[in-house]
Amino acid sequence: MRARDLGLASCHTCGLLQKLPRHHGHGHCPRCGSTVHLRKPNSIQVTWALLLAAIVAYLPANLYPVMTVVSLGRSQSDTIISGVVYLMLHGDWPLGLIVFIASVLVPLVKIMALTYLLLSVQRRSPLLRARRTRLYRLVELVGRWSMVDIFVVALLAALVQVGAIATIQPGVGAIAFTSVVILTMLAALSFDPRLIWDHEERQYGVT
Amino acid sequence: MMHPETVDGGRTELIACHECDALQALPALLPGQSARCTVCRAKLLRNPPGGLDRPIALFTAALILLLLANSFPFLILEIQGRTEFTTIFGASRALYQAGMGELAVVVFITSIVAPTLLIASSLYVLLTVRFGLWLPGSRLALSWISHLQPWGMLDVFMLGVLVAFVKLGGMATMHMGVSLFAYGGLIVMSAAASASFEPGYLWRRLDSRRQAADAR
Repeated sequence: MRARDLGLASCHTCGLLQKLPRHHGHGHCPRCGSTVHLRKPNSIQVTWALLLAAIVAYLPANLYPVMTVVSLGRSQSDTIISGVVYLMLHGDWPLGLIVFIASVLVPLVKIMALTYLLLSVQRRSPLLRARRTRLYRLVELVGRWSMVDIFVVALLAALVQVGAIATIQPGVGAIAFTSVVILTMLAALSFDPRLIWDHEERQYGVT
Repeated sequence: MMHPETVDGGRTELIACHECDALQALPALLPGQSARCTVCRAKLLRNPPGGLDRPIALFTAALILLLLANSFPFLILEIQGRTEFTTIFGASRALYQAGMGELAVVVFITSIVAPTLLIASSLYVLLTVRFGLWLPGSRLALSWISHLQPWGMLDVFMLGVLVAFVKLGGMATMHMGVSLFAYGGLIVMSAAASASFEPGYLWRRLDSRRQAADAR
């Protein structure tokens, strides 16, 4: 038995189960005051829009440098990937591996996973529902770790400042990369995993 | 079975899984127990061990450490006789000074604003419930906690510190500032605090309190 079959919706903020007013797509939660919908409104469209924007930003995020080190008149630019490679070769490879996972693998896997989730929901696939729900849970959980490289750039820029022997300038790639992280996080938040379980004959993504 | 520490005092409550919408009866939970969805195994509700006192203690410690971590030098760098240091806020400021205001705002929110708000508002709601106070905005604070959670990135920032340490280790001598130790403690405290903190449980406490007040 599913809540939507009885016209019951759970509040997205506090989880309170409640009857939605008839002929209305939404109501107000008596417990926390949030607007309550059966499903997140326009979930599929909003998630697609954010995901496509993230895919567009993904290219400059990886092609442009995230930072430039200027030292004694010489300058050297690092992209996300070259930074990871440098860390693995000259620094600490276990740490390099973690950063590789967080800043190269996670964004890529996240984009692919969300695309797969959206397509499978739109095709009303009845397959692997529990696994797709787990995949969604994972995507939601790991996304924030991609921010690590941006924090690194910020910390390096703060430490190695004007006047010292070297300066570190954040690059445009950092803005694009942050956009990818934030857009995919928002996409994951706007995707409604309950759509994976909705029955085939129903119209979803509307309310 | 009636038990004073169960989430809803033994009354059966219906709940819909937030991930698959399966409707089910919420079992009564003893402290330390959690309920999972019968269909997709998502976590529905926990009754955290340690009642309200444990998260209050841990969040208070976290708040103090947060203040310390933001008040002193965080990382100190020694390069050819010169020393430079940065604070946590310095990371956002450096981005702003480099002409990247948007990025500075994102780093400022995720490294300072969201964690501070999360810790402070969790503590606020916990104190309201624990001491039976009728402070304004506790429902509002509790609702934004769940929306803020993904944006507080203390742990991710810590990983960034480690990486920065290794990256600069080759060209300069790095020292840990006082704040970094406070920050390490903060990570441990806030992880332990969130493990003993369950918004769903506090919502039910606020509800039963409101019902009791209405009945009077």
